[in-house]
Amino acid sequence: MPNPETIRFKSQEELKEEEIERRIKEKGPEGEILGGIVFEEEKVVDPETEEERTKRYIYIGNPYEERPIITKLETGASQEEIKAIKREIIPMRESFEILETMARTYKHRQSLLIEGPTAIGKTYLADKFTELLYGRGVKPLDFYCSGQTDVSELMAKWVPKVETEEEKKKWNEFLELAETQVKLSQITQEIEQTERLSQEQKLALIHTKLQELAKSAGLSETTKWQFQYGAVPKAMGLIKNTDGSFSFDEQKGVGFILHIEEVGLAEPQVINALLKLRGKRGQLAEEIQLWENGGRKVKAGPKFWVFFSTNPPEEYLARNEVDPALARGVVFKRMGELSQESLLLAAEYYFTYRLGEKPKEKPEGCILDIYNHPEIGREIAKVISAFHNDLNKELKKGEKGRMQRIPLTLDDMARVADALIDTQIRNKETGRLDLTEALKNLIRFYYLDRLADQDLKETMEANLNELLEGDTGKIKFEEKTLTRKEIFDILVERASITEEEKKRLEQEEIERKRRELEQAKHDTEDAIMLALQNPNTPEEIKKRLREIKLE
Amino acid sequence: MEEEKLNTFIRLLQRVRKQPSQTFDLGLIVKELGSQIEVEEVFEEIKKIVDIERIVYDETIFDGDVIDKIVDIFRKNRWVFLEIKKDISSPLLNQLKHLANHNSFQLIDYQGKDIFDMKMPENSRLIVFTERDFIENKISYPHFYRLFGPTLSLK
Repeated sequence: MPNPETIRFKSQEELKEEEIERRIKEKGPEGEILGGIVFEEEKVVDPETEEERTKRYIYIGNPYEERPIITKLETGASQEEIKAIKREIIPMRESFEILETMARTYKHRQSLLIEGPTAIGKTYLADKFTELLYGRGVKPLDFYCSGQTDVSELMAKWVPKVETEEEKKKWNEFLELAETQVKLSQITQEIEQTERLSQEQKLALIHTKLQELAKSAGLSETTKWQFQYGAVPKAMGLIKNTDGSFSFDEQKGVGFILHIEEVGLAEPQVINALLKLRGKRGQLAEEIQLWENGGRKVKAGPKFWVFFSTNPPEEYLARNEVDPALARGVVFKRMGELSQESLLLAAEYYFTYRLGEKPKEKPEGCILDIYNHPEIGREIAKVISAFHNDLNKELKKGEKGRMQRIPLTLDDMARVADALIDTQIRNKETGRLDLTEALKNLIRFYYLDRLADQDLKETMEANLNELLEGDTGKIKFEEKTLTRKEIFDILVERASITEEEKKRLEQEEIERKRRELEQAKHDTEDAIMLALQNPNTPEEIKKRLREIKLE
Repeated sequence: MEEEKLNTFIRLLQRVRKQPSQTFDLGLIVKELGSQIEVEEVFEEIKKIVDIERIVYDETIFDGDVIDKIVDIFRKNRWVFLEIKKDISSPLLNQLKHLANHNSFQLIDYQGKDIFDMKMPENSRLIVFTERDFIENKISYPHFYRLFGPTLSLK
């Protein structure tokens, strides 16, 4: 009997927590992850109007954790939408690790920076996280950094209002000059240092200086200028309208998600501008001041959130280490390569066609409906994940002094999987799908033709042939050691036969076994007869043999 | 020029939608070093298969104009053949990346909208044509190849 002193009744809140945790960790019959994201509706009473209304929430946690940290967020998505979005996320450990961190930092208004290799799914999960909060099809505001990114694209700029094509051309030529960009940023710096002027006076000064600049370049000094906000202030003050469009209000906007990609490629002046986003206690800034607009402040709405992503610096020549000041101002998460287990899981999801709708009818170009044969998909997944991993290792070594690198992504597998549905090759001898040749053909288009290094291309082609048809690629399959090509051929043959053919073959098999038995019976009778006729056979044995009755 | 390879390349662009995002790919045609094939010849061959318009991205054109042209071509449900002859600047690169990731353009303060979002029509695609040597030595963006799905290498 338990000690009464240790008995404790759980509160409703605790029971609810346990229930959510159970659903977060839910697994299917084959151990597949079903949880990770849980949808709930709650009735709430508006304290002012006393009206009851339903609020929708999602709970996000990492189902691979024994005790997951679970974050509750309000969502605009319906239960059906959440279900559909969940279906589009391959339940890899790394995916949930990222989603869980996104949810936690979003809730606490902390910007997040994930540094991780290309295939980890940073961009895809940023999109899915946005959909989880806003509904299907809603994408974050994306900003992509490169070595050529200008601060004005992120923050703000003045642009001349021009009417004619000729004027436009002249202005474009002028504005694209590096010298012009320097002069424009000097104007902003001067304004920032001018303390005694009012905002209106600062604006007037900006206009005067812009006109002087135009005049010095031989352009019309009467040109009107308009102020344009960049991606950061826009995201701070965005409002998502009910029709799906966006509008901007620098003071009353609720804010939106801004994804700044490849921040490792950004130049120091861009990073300096991004440092404006650092707020108090590790949170995002509540407002930023734009000197381009005479020092006017833009407020960050409550739903404004910034997610930075970048690849590890060692992968590319042009990539910088994440700036330490930026790293200190964000939640910085470093991710490693996708595990072999996750890579295979992803390949299985793609080649068993579990992520999207399967074709209702066999499309043109499709010899075998492989999307209805997961047993084939699982074998393809083993080949593709092995090849992908092999090539990725080679590419990681890189080529000396080469700027361009070709990091592989899960998209490469997804492309092969989708193309394989209707870009199939027929085996001229059997008339069935030649899966080995079809795969080779698609791997060439999606993996190999991008390679500039012809030696590597030839090596990888040879490796692929060995994997598919050589001795080293052989694996155990139904008690036999076979090449992948042989396995593909067996599986394709099985999948290609029609129901009628299947019945006929089964009947033939029964008939063959019956004939074998009949033959065995005759052989035994002959052997007994011979033994009985043999004078050397002892009488005792002959007696026993005569007693045998064969049925 | 290998007609069969070109046909497969076009077919892959037309048909393949990546799981699970269901997005179409941008295509890349790379002219290898020493190849005698001319860009006009490639463009004319593709023109026989799909309704396509050509844009040359070189020193005489600005990013804003290229983006305007692509938007315009997409509005006509046509394909874009973008020949790249100078390093890609940030505004165009941003849009190419967005097109590759989401099959849409996302532009700030464009055509009177705070956020202009234009989906690439179902019947439109974008093919980039350039030379291997140019990609390797002139394109400063190190992930250039990642923007594309199928690649057609012309020898």
